[in-house]
Amino acid sequence: MTTLSTSPVPAAPAQTAGPGAFRAGLGNIALVLLRRREVQLVVAILGLFAVCTGLHPQFGASSNIAFILADSTTIMIVAVGQTIVVLGRGIDLSVSPMLGIAAVSIGFPASMHNLNIWLALLFVLLIGIGLGMGNGFLVSVVGIPPIIATLATLTIYGGWQFIICGGMSVINIPAVYTNFGGANVLPGVPWLIVIGAGVVALAYVFLTRTVTGRSVYAVGNNADAAFRAGVPVRRVLFTTYVISGFLAGLAGLVYLCQIGSATSTSGSDGNTNLMSIAATLIGGTTLLGGRGGPVGSALGAVFLSEAAQALISFRFNEIWDPAGVGVLILIAVVADRKGAPVRQLFRQPFRQPAKAVK
Amino acid sequence: MSAHTGQASEAGVLSADGAVAVPARARPAGLQYEGRLLTKSFDGATVLSQVSITFEPGEIHSVVGENGAGKSTLVKIMAGIYQPDSGEVLLGDDRLAGLSPRSAQHRGIYLVPQEPALMQSLSITENLFVGILRRGRLRFNVDWASMRREASAYLDRVGLDIVPEVKAEELSVAQQQLVECARALVHRCVVIYFDEPTSPLTGKEAGTLFEVMRSLRAEGYTLGFISHRLDEVLAISDRVTVLRDGAKVLSAPRSEVDRAALVRAMIGRELVTRERVRPHFDATGRKEMLAVEDLTSQPSFEGVSFNVREGEVLGLAGLVGSGRTEVAETIFGLRPTDRGTVQVEGRLLEHRSPRICIDAGLVYLPEDRGRHGIFAEVEVERNVTAGVIPRLERFGPLIKPAPERQMAKEATEKTAVRMTSLDTLMKALSGGNQQRAMLSRWLLAGPRVAIFDEPTRGVDVGAKDDIYQLVAQLAGQGLACVFISSELNELTISCDRVVAMYEGHVVAELSGAEITDASLGAIIVGAHLR
Repeated sequence: MTTLSTSPVPAAPAQTAGPGAFRAGLGNIALVLLRRREVQLVVAILGLFAVCTGLHPQFGASSNIAFILADSTTIMIVAVGQTIVVLGRGIDLSVSPMLGIAAVSIGFPASMHNLNIWLALLFVLLIGIGLGMGNGFLVSVVGIPPIIATLATLTIYGGWQFIICGGMSVINIPAVYTNFGGANVLPGVPWLIVIGAGVVALAYVFLTRTVTGRSVYAVGNNADAAFRAGVPVRRVLFTTYVISGFLAGLAGLVYLCQIGSATSTSGSDGNTNLMSIAATLIGGTTLLGGRGGPVGSALGAVFLSEAAQALISFRFNEIWDPAGVGVLILIAVVADRKGAPVRQLFRQPFRQPAKAVK
Repeated sequence: MSAHTGQASEAGVLSADGAVAVPARARPAGLQYEGRLLTKSFDGATVLSQVSITFEPGEIHSVVGENGAGKSTLVKIMAGIYQPDSGEVLLGDDRLAGLSPRSAQHRGIYLVPQEPALMQSLSITENLFVGILRRGRLRFNVDWASMRREASAYLDRVGLDIVPEVKAEELSVAQQQLVECARALVHRCVVIYFDEPTSPLTGKEAGTLFEVMRSLRAEGYTLGFISHRLDEVLAISDRVTVLRDGAKVLSAPRSEVDRAALVRAMIGRELVTRERVRPHFDATGRKEMLAVEDLTSQPSFEGVSFNVREGEVLGLAGLVGSGRTEVAETIFGLRPTDRGTVQVEGRLLEHRSPRICIDAGLVYLPEDRGRHGIFAEVEVERNVTAGVIPRLERFGPLIKPAPERQMAKEATEKTAVRMTSLDTLMKALSGGNQQRAMLSRWLLAGPRVAIFDEPTRGVDVGAKDDIYQLVAQLAGQGLACVFISSELNELTISCDRVVAMYEGHVVAELSGAEITDASLGAIIVGAHLR
């Protein structure tokens, strides 16, 4: 502590943790690292893997690893968008129909007219951006609270997906799509997860190194202060919803490649909304905004996929899956010691005084 | 309605016959209520120190003082909202320990808050009786009829001519305040505090409130009144206590004090007057950096004009509510402008927003650092660079980390922020260091004009001096500074010129040696009106 004597505040370890906490001792470094949610998740993922493989050797097979990773990719990509919205102190409940609309909108031309996969990519991104702009408009221009605005678009977009399908389902996707969805770079490493990792990396760079990305943290942390510091708060919020839509659109294509079909309930049936929020929370991003990041959310998505797979290998019926996700969310929120107490979620946003540490 | 039934059953326990659920706390009006050696600090800053005060039945006892003198804290301790760090409160001969707002109400102590806290979508009857809802004959139903009858009687008593069925949201602020007052009576409270009740009211509305207070006094209630409006205090009080910097400096019967004595007590300083931070600087003839012309934003202020020249520190003096902060916020584009202009370096700024002002070279250090300034959960480095994110050195679209860190490092060194590292979270810093970090944020923006709103608020004494020095140093480098403060001595030692505001108007401009604590103090409390 003596090295910190210049600080007038009795340094609280939890708050000075991070790159700045250079207190000596490997044990301390390990402790500091373990306080990071990302590290905790890696430990949890590897630990669960070790336990499952020990009990069921086939759990460790490269095909199973590839399945878990590919399975997590859709949620991972959506969760990254969700994370960006949540960092700005918002929430996007319309990710499932955005994913679904993207999947069916390219699914039909792909199955009937053999749509080129690159064109399909362009289309899903444009669709996602368009739908995201709808949410962004409602939240940042009209000024509707995010949870209400996106609850409305959840229904609107969901209905739209139904109309697009017109009672039909997308089947017989060209092999280009499904081959890509099933291909591995290396044994156990599917191409899909490479895309997911790329999205996470781009999101990380966006959030930490670009003007808009940095502003997201400021707006989520204290919108009043951000506005007074000259940050264009509304534009930043708008952008977060557009990005969420964009990534949900991309996830729609990934979904199509992986599953090979799409229906009027694609996205909603896999509970994409809940899963993306779960991955975000488990990944250490708080619903109060301004703290967290996409790497944790990505690991959260992998962990959720792995846990689901573990339940299956222990012969639990998969109807236990949602309950398991719920328990994991609770654990993640309770374990978030640094975060504000849960009751703060129920306080009026933007009016919460940020107190100095006592 | 489940909440009501729960509360009703609780009240029912206290009631003997079940019909009238008024707890056995009803007592004759008039109890002496005393606070002894009360001390309270927040975040290490002492806001109340060893204050003893006695409220007598049948008296209106006013507590006055400047902003931050500790008036509200004192009353909140008396009403059980805060726990004192040391000291005790005695009601009659009983020592009350571990008081909470609820138990205080049970003992007959009520605080009418500054902003009425009624449940807006409930009826006045429900608002009055919440917590002690009456049970009807069937034991589980609510006896609305009797409550309504009684509510009408209480409303009459506080001079409110409204039907008790209306919802609270339909009432004006003044009416809601009277309902709060009626609520105190319904709950059989005999010690009633009013925390700056008149600030949201018009003169006439305040008059009605005073009538009610006088009639309660006549019935022997114990009344406490907080205000910084001396006219009101002098008109209504039987006894006046003055707090300054958390300590009691005067307590006397109304007949023994006059306006001048109160002003002296409120603003009087320690015998050693602090020296000026730098000699008076006469900026006549220097370049005009900020020109505000006829600026108006109703209802806060009207027709405000002033200018600031290069290298000059202009003070903006006035009580809270006089419009100082509102003027600054309007200049910075945070409030709508009804009319008037703002020019920075001769350039007219239209459709002002923080971004436009910052880019024009005008920055505003907000009064409420926690709410409007810092990003508590973010590292110091990013807090410091937050005002200039678009100007950071970039490679393509990507911000370069190294130059940013260097910038933050230099800026925090300039203002001597003490912290473990630039990666420390902002919330881990003390108030003074947070303020320094805020100053470095604004220095990075390369301002030509800076508005400092209460820059030393929530900052300890040593750090205050550093902030004065820093402002003087910046002015010495040519920065045009506007210094807003409630502490007159700060203005006296820092400013070259002071513009004083009262009730939304500029009422005086002092310069050079005319600026003294006494002259400022007299003006901001409205002495010129006599």
